[in-house]
Amino acid sequence: MALIECRGLTREYKKGDNIIRPLDGLDLDVERGEFVALMGPSGSGKTTLLNLVAGIDSPTRGELTVDGVALGSLSRNKLAAWRAQHVGYVFQLYNLVPVLTAYENVELPLLLHALSRRERHGRVMTALQRVGIADRHDHYPRQLSGGQEQRVAIARAVVTDPTILVGDEPTGDLDASAAEAVMALLGELHDDLGKTIIMVTHDPKTAACAERTLHLEKGRLVREAGAMEGAAV
Amino acid sequence: MSVGRFVPYVLKQVTRHRGRSALTVAGVAIAMFLFTAVQAMNRGVTVATQERAGETTLVVYRADRYCPATSELPQDYQSRIERIEGVVSAIPVKVVVSNCRTSLDVVTFRGVPKEAFLAERGGAMELVAGSAEDWKRRTDAALVGETLATRRGLRPGMTFDAAGITAYVAGVIRSDNPQDQNVAYTALEFVQLAGRDRLGIVTQFNVTVEDPSMLESVAAEIDGTFKTAQEPTATFTEKSFIGRIADDIIELVGFARWLGIGCLAAVLALVANAIVLSVQSRIGEHAVLQTLGYSSRLVALLIVGEGLVLSLAGGVLGALAAYVVARLGSFALAVEGVSIPIEASLGVIATGLVVCGTIGVLGGLVPAWQASRREIAACFRAA
Ligand SMILES: Nc1ncnc2c1ncn2[C@@H]1O[C@H](COP(=O)(O)OP(=O)(O)O)[C@@H](O)[C@H]1O
Ligand SMILES: [Mg+2]
Repeated sequence: MALIECRGLTREYKKGDNIIRPLDGLDLDVERGEFVALMGPSGSGKTTLLNLVAGIDSPTRGELTVDGVALGSLSRNKLAAWRAQHVGYVFQLYNLVPVLTAYENVELPLLLHALSRRERHGRVMTALQRVGIADRHDHYPRQLSGGQEQRVAIARAVVTDPTILVGDEPTGDLDASAAEAVMALLGELHDDLGKTIIMVTHDPKTAACAERTLHLEKGRLVREAGAMEGAAV
Repeated sequence: MSVGRFVPYVLKQVTRHRGRSALTVAGVAIAMFLFTAVQAMNRGVTVATQERAGETTLVVYRADRYCPATSELPQDYQSRIERIEGVVSAIPVKVVVSNCRTSLDVVTFRGVPKEAFLAERGGAMELVAGSAEDWKRRTDAALVGETLATRRGLRPGMTFDAAGITAYVAGVIRSDNPQDQNVAYTALEFVQLAGRDRLGIVTQFNVTVEDPSMLESVAAEIDGTFKTAQEPTATFTEKSFIGRIADDIIELVGFARWLGIGCLAAVLALVANAIVLSVQSRIGEHAVLQTLGYSSRLVALLIVGEGLVLSLAGGVLGALAAYVVARLGSFALAVEGVSIPIEASLGVIATGLVVCGTIGVLGGLVPAWQASRREIAACFRAA
């Protein structure tokens, strides 16, 4: 059984009499340890799919199971607890809490786990070291560059050792060299730690880092290609 | 999992949004200062006018008079009062005030026969400075109540002028009775002679009865005795006498209660406003917390916690400031020789803080509820 299974996954919004359907009966399997890139034009439903998989949105119809858990059947509170265990989310605009230092931002998700202060400290420092930013642990987001902020955000996403790591255009706001560094980091997380990663991107070069690239259009998968083929198109 | 580990997060949110928090805390502090002041006045009215079990003092006043300047009774009523069944003692008192109108700084002289006064009331008072011997020896000596002494900066050995009287401070006294706290006790003849030449005329008699249950019957008997005399009397328990004389102040203080409630409303509006603004500017942040796995309930709790911290910080500042001002200033509202103390007790402050904390929670409740109801994904689109 695949780690992530989508069957007829549909998300609808009502706008007056109109029904908007960002996701329209999508079928998809993602295996444990896979690194998947998600591409497609703006408005094609990439973020919507990511949010469903990350459990911060719920499908209108269809099935979505992650690691055997049917997310649609979980209550709001159960879903929150599930996210705390299983999901790391990296945003395009980092979304660090501005009044907290890098260290405190990374510690935030750990507060939900039954860990002592010392254990938390160990995990936070390990995560910060992994993303190469331990020396800036007491800096506030405003004192960091975009690339550094995104690395802190990645540390925050992986510090709980989640089952899946999702990124919504994580390099979308970075310059080329910072983007490259972030992609190298995600590659390491995948190669060294075997993380399952789903990442939205507009950039074919970035998508090339993934093992598989999915193309979304109007809420449906139009084509699936291996990384090499995807890059060649 | 205990919520205690999120306390640092809440504190950081408050202290690191420094400008915003400081303004809210300052506003709450001012409102709580006013609220505590009003409460202290209300407390003073209660202390000054509410009968307590075991009280045995009556005040005999000239009937139909409301002011010490016009209440004139012959001093020789004393022996006739003392002959009444149940009366332990009757102390003639001549009251002279520096200011007949309501004021925060009235000096009230009570002229009393020294020996009888010490024998009857000495036990209920504590001499905190100076000497009782000095008071007995010197004709112009005064025992000054603590509140009056603090307010006027009076210490033993000093002399002071008020109401046309120059008195020597022989000692400072402390008493449970708020009236004692705000007067200067001197020799009866000294006060009688100080103004016009009126030996033999007193303002009132302070009568002690054997048993609290006899207050009413003794009062009726006294007034009966002098019903047809040239100067008829009106006798009250001490507390109801104060209530009668100070009724204007009491009414005003009662009205001030509404101002107190207004202060609380201001605190509620301030805290709610601060939290609403802070939550609106942090919609994305709260969505991030939820994405990390924080339940909507926990996010709501954190928001309410911020309201609580802001209001408690302001409440502590305001209440402490009121306490310090009341203590240092030693204010008492005085009129016609009776005093309503301003009692900023620790109880008043504790009540204020509990009320303030409750309001802080209430102020955060609605915005917290709204924030916790938002759809996470929609928050990111809006931000
Ligand atoms: N809460 C919502 N209400 C209405 N329409 C929405 C909502 N969320 C997303 N949509 C619509 O769904 C479509 C897909 O959005 P999205 O998944 O963000 O696309 P992408 O990330 O691929 O650019 C868009 O047309 C968007 O306007
Ligand atoms: Mg998107």
